[in-house]
Amino acid sequence: MTGLSFFIGEARFVDTRAAAYGECRPLLQYPIVFSPEPAPLKASSCLAVMPARDEAPTVGAVVEGVRRTLGCQVLVVDDASSDDTAAAARAAGAAVLTLPLGLGAWGATQAGIRYARRNGFQGVITLDSDGQHLPDSLPLLLAAQARDGANVVIGTCVARLSRAKRIAWRYLRLLTGLPLTDFTSGLRLYDASAIEILAGQEASLLDYQDVGVLMLLSRGGLRITETPVTMLPRRAGHSRVFASWPVVAKYMMHTTVLCIAQLDPARRSTRTAGVDPTC
Amino acid sequence: MLTGQITSAIIGIALAGAILFLVRRDHLHGPYALWWFGVAAATFALGVFPALIVWLGHLTGIVYAPVLPIVVGLSLVLIRMLKLDIDRSRQERQIRRLTQKLAILEQELDRIGHAASPPVLPRDSNAVQPPG
Repeated sequence: MTGLSFFIGEARFVDTRAAAYGECRPLLQYPIVFSPEPAPLKASSCLAVMPARDEAPTVGAVVEGVRRTLGCQVLVVDDASSDDTAAAARAAGAAVLTLPLGLGAWGATQAGIRYARRNGFQGVITLDSDGQHLPDSLPLLLAAQARDGANVVIGTCVARLSRAKRIAWRYLRLLTGLPLTDFTSGLRLYDASAIEILAGQEASLLDYQDVGVLMLLSRGGLRITETPVTMLPRRAGHSRVFASWPVVAKYMMHTTVLCIAQLDPARRSTRTAGVDPTC
Repeated sequence: MLTGQITSAIIGIALAGAILFLVRRDHLHGPYALWWFGVAAATFALGVFPALIVWLGHLTGIVYAPVLPIVVGLSLVLIRMLKLDIDRSRQERQIRRLTQKLAILEQELDRIGHAASPPVLPRDSNAVQPPG
């Protein structure tokens, strides 16, 4: 048993908003098997993955911004666009994957993650191509990863959350037991062990990059942390999830079924016991 | 006037014949063909020998025997539909992964193509054998 104890530790979900107010409290503490604490990622060993569908007007500027800020390689995954997204991305210096069939934001992101795995990248940073995520906020993700020893970092813009989103997220927190502020933020950092999980078959049938992906990572015993960032309102296009009420209803139903299907009563009971009720 | 037995035999034989005809046209993948052969055999047997249903009703203790094929048939249809969706989900997963792989390999091909020197065109097109 002593040999095992090395792998058994306490998973800590750290609320970075609390950290901003000078206190850092672990929201959950439960024994779980996970890999040893990940080493800090270097920007140069990361790949920035940008799923893009018909984002030709903005994609070039975002690619240039990422390359300027991090100096890492950028991969734009063209999700069967009908405009010149691929050409604009190439012109800005990004590698481009062109999906022959539209797979949606998560399918495109997973293609990028599989590319990163195949080409030996140690980390993947995902961001949207529409310019809502500022390249300047990317170093914050790397800093949070190093500080918290996390496998996954989510960039969260608390100020941008609408009332509807706040209610929706509260519901999802309750359902999943994951103590996160923003479930759908596309601004994320994944380390090598997260890449390993997300490149797999199991992640291929997910339709959104949020709850299903996060539950998969959490089941794999990875540490997920959030860091506050500033985001711009979308210049072009709309939120895929919060487009209209019927879409929201469909999304919530879809997610609820997903959560129910993946519920693990034994683990959930330990989780909810630790969740801060004020969160 | 047709008797009930003749009507049922006609329905059973027509259904079994149609299924066999479609299966024999070789549009079905192995396990599906086997399933449909089974369905054809069952409709044939029950259509031609409706007494089988009464006998099965007695055997299973169902008072109103004609409801038996309806209940069993409906259950099989539901199971079949579930299996269909499971298969479709598996295929959806495969299609998504193949799409991703295709894009990744295409990008690699492009990269290799750009890295290598431009291909030398043969001077004499007759000297080049068509592939295959």
